Amino acid sequence: MKKNTVQERKIENKSFLSKIEPFLYLLPFLIGLVVFTLYPVINVVLISFKEGYSHLSRNFTEWGLGNYETVLADPRFGQAISNTIKYVLLVVPISTCLSIVIANLLNQKLRFSALFQTAYFLPMVTSITAVGLAWKLMYNKNFGIINYLLSFFGVDKIPWLENAQWSIPALVIFGIWNILPFTIILLLSGLQNIDPLYYTAAKVDGSSSLRIFFRITIPLLAPTIFLVCIINTISCFKVFSELYPLFNGKPGPFNNLYTVVYYIRYAMMENRKYGIAAAAAIILFMFIFVFTMVQHFIQNRTRR
Amino acid sequence: MKQKVTRFLVYLFLIIGGLIMLLPFFWMFSSAFKTTQEINKFPPQWLPSSISLVNFQRAFAMAPFARYFVNSILVMVSSVGITTFTTILAAFAFSKLHFPGRSLIFSMLLALMMIPFEMLIITNYSTVVQLKLWDTIPALILPFTSSIFYTYILKNFFDSISDSLYWSARIDGSSNWRYLWKVMVPIARPSLTTIILLNGLASWNSFMWPMYVIASDKNRTLPWGLQVFTTEAGSYPELLMAASTVVVFPVIILFFFCRKYIVRGVARGGLKG
Amino acid sequence: MRVVLDHITKQFDDVIAVNDFSAVLESGELVCLLGPSGCGKSTILNMLSGILPVTRGTIMFDNDDVTTMPPEKRGIGLVFQNYALYPHMTVMGNICFPLETQRVPKAERIERANEIAKLVHVDMLMNRKPGELSGGQQQRVAIARALVKNPRLLLLDEPLSNLDARLRLEMREEIRRIQQKTGVTTIFVTHDQEEAMSISDRIILMKASLLQQNDIPQNLYNQPVNQFVADFLGNPPINNIPGTLRDGVFTAQDGRAKAIIPEFKGLTSQNPVNLSVRSESFILDENGPIECQVTRVYQMGKEEMAYFNFGGTTFSAYIDAEKNLVVGSTVRLSLKRRGVFVFDRETGERIR
Repeated sequence: MKKNTVQERKIENKSFLSKIEPFLYLLPFLIGLVVFTLYPVINVVLISFKEGYSHLSRNFTEWGLGNYETVLADPRFGQAISNTIKYVLLVVPISTCLSIVIANLLNQKLRFSALFQTAYFLPMVTSITAVGLAWKLMYNKNFGIINYLLSFFGVDKIPWLENAQWSIPALVIFGIWNILPFTIILLLSGLQNIDPLYYTAAKVDGSSSLRIFFRITIPLLAPTIFLVCIINTISCFKVFSELYPLFNGKPGPFNNLYTVVYYIRYAMMENRKYGIAAAAAIILFMFIFVFTMVQHFIQNRTRR
Repeated sequence: MKQKVTRFLVYLFLIIGGLIMLLPFFWMFSSAFKTTQEINKFPPQWLPSSISLVNFQRAFAMAPFARYFVNSILVMVSSVGITTFTTILAAFAFSKLHFPGRSLIFSMLLALMMIPFEMLIITNYSTVVQLKLWDTIPALILPFTSSIFYTYILKNFFDSISDSLYWSARIDGSSNWRYLWKVMVPIARPSLTTIILLNGLASWNSFMWPMYVIASDKNRTLPWGLQVFTTEAGSYPELLMAASTVVVFPVIILFFFCRKYIVRGVARGGLKG
Repeated sequence: MRVVLDHITKQFDDVIAVNDFSAVLESGELVCLLGPSGCGKSTILNMLSGILPVTRGTIMFDNDDVTTMPPEKRGIGLVFQNYALYPHMTVMGNICFPLETQRVPKAERIERANEIAKLVHVDMLMNRKPGELSGGQQQRVAIARALVKNPRLLLLDEPLSNLDARLRLEMREEIRRIQQKTGVTTIFVTHDQEEAMSISDRIILMKASLLQQNDIPQNLYNQPVNQFVADFLGNPPINNIPGTLRDGVFTAQDGRAKAIIPEFKGLTSQNPVNLSVRSESFILDENGPIECQVTRVYQMGKEEMAYFNFGGTTFSAYIDAEKNLVVGSTVRLSLKRRGVFVFDRETGERIR
């Protein structure tokens, strides 16, 4: 037999219109996609390689890696990277550990479980910049509720937002509070996918609940935990809106808390150097890309 | 006995944790009703001594929050409306219609899904300026008319609807268009509700993009207007809290009624932004 | 309406699903497309409805060539295995849906829907949603929806396979009743031979993309064209005793057990054969040609189902219970005229 292309007696589609019908359905979607996603992706890559790019004239002097060299040599970008990584390394593990515990407790048969869920999930839906203002008030050194509560444990007043040292913990605590609901929800749905028979079997064997937690729950939940870590790492890499309300729109009390996204904004809006901003955005994407690939790789492996 | 103690500890832990999670909201609402003296007290005062809306009135007098509110609603409604429309059409085409390159295009879309919006801002900003839309309400709507994520969710749901329904309708002389709106969309109502809620929340809370493209007071939406307001009302935190309450409170009410839809949507693939 | 399928072939990328299939359905007939799963019967149905295009061949509805006509123009009613009712519409809404697309005025729509609902006995369920109906009721609604637009041809795809055994019996009688009342030409796809035997005017039996036999039910049972047809129909399944046939002498596979069958006199086959006999075609007969041992006996009321061993092959037969068979004893059997066949074991073709 020759190549397996089958000549069919096609069902007649009388009109031209019905032939292009699928594309008419796609058209509204594709217009938005091409103009505001596809073209920008290509364009940002191009801009990042244009040296001396001017956003007004759209002229540039030559193609090259100049923007990347400038970005990587900029101490402010180095600071942004190191702050971002610090933030990721603090927020992701702590929020994951907390969420594992909370999700396990919420997964039991509880009274008022709707009430608990509302309490633990609420930060997910509210405006982070608006709630950030409340946090700013709570962090206030002299009148803040946080320092007041800590005073019961004999802690002196902490200058959360006024001091470079303390600004990172302040941001991290707010960040954890903010990311916790999402993490709990994903872990909770992971827990609900575990076959209850495993638990019944373990209980029949007389295992203690702690043993069940570490020998059954954690291993079976591992893929979800991993997934959550990756997603949270990616979203923490983009930290910006958490920072904005705490320090009146500045990155930290002494501009000491630059993050990658803050750096992009700075390069773009204050310096008007789009090439620099584009190069920084590409570097941000590289980080995200690597983590996404790791996620796909692991997911494919565990699925087999 | 031992069981009762553990049970008690579980509840204790969850209640304390829950209170910590709710503390910022409580503090926001309580402070929104305090006087300047009450808010600058130490030890802090948990509850305001009297309930009065004076802080709200003063905040609304100092900045056009009513305008921000209307803008936010306008942006949310039109953005959700348009996005839902393009999403329904595209998800239907990808799920039930046949055209060359269907699966190739779809997998390319999935790859595009990992591009962070932060990367697109540079070009989209220029595009908006070029289209003479800078500092206008449409600038807040147009970049979000197509969502790969929502299309993906809805396509998955459409895929789960048996093809025999489609062919039944076709044999009965129904066009694709009629089938989509008369059969598919009503069946997909739960999925659509989730999509609309997630999209509405994202639009309502959206901050970064408005910050880039909106400069004048009359076009600001609530979250961005609120941040601008901090420079004017920085020394009056009670006014800031009253204004923040306006942003946050409607969402909390919504969450009370639609928690299940929202949580299900989040569990299925995450929140955007 | 008369339906002609003329040399229809359906080829998917690598597989031929239907190979050179030809058949004629007379107007008003109920025809069963019967065969094991994957034999191509559903593919034929989908080609008739226009869901699948035809690779080669033509389909005629009366004098219209519908081979390339889009589904909505063919004037057919189709009932799917899962009924494909619209879950968000009431029964009334479901039945009216085809009429709405034809822009039938509302009053007429409701009248016709009520009329057809009465015919299929769902008139008291008009305001329910499919989720509130039993399987059999959903089935009736699906049939009503297919019939309401007065189709020229009614196609039923495995309509009973989602029902439990009792409902299946009831619904197949119902389908027969409704079909006879409306007189619509009907094609009924099934893999259940009992179902096909009980309701159809004619059965088209298929196997692995090929048509095997197209005939009235009795002929498929009594005059199977090949081994496959004989095997597929009948419960209990036909007994196949392998062996050789030389001038009317049947020798079992072990080479020792022999039977001189008078009816086969002069019959010889080069290839090994199966002596295929229906269980009801044996007679206990002292002078019978087949000498065999009784291995098991089951009481079944008036008759007994008995198992015999002939040359290493076990077969079953209905025997009059009064004969008092003893397990382990040797008896002789003769064959009736009906239900006795000889098939070539290599080609499957019928020799006698």
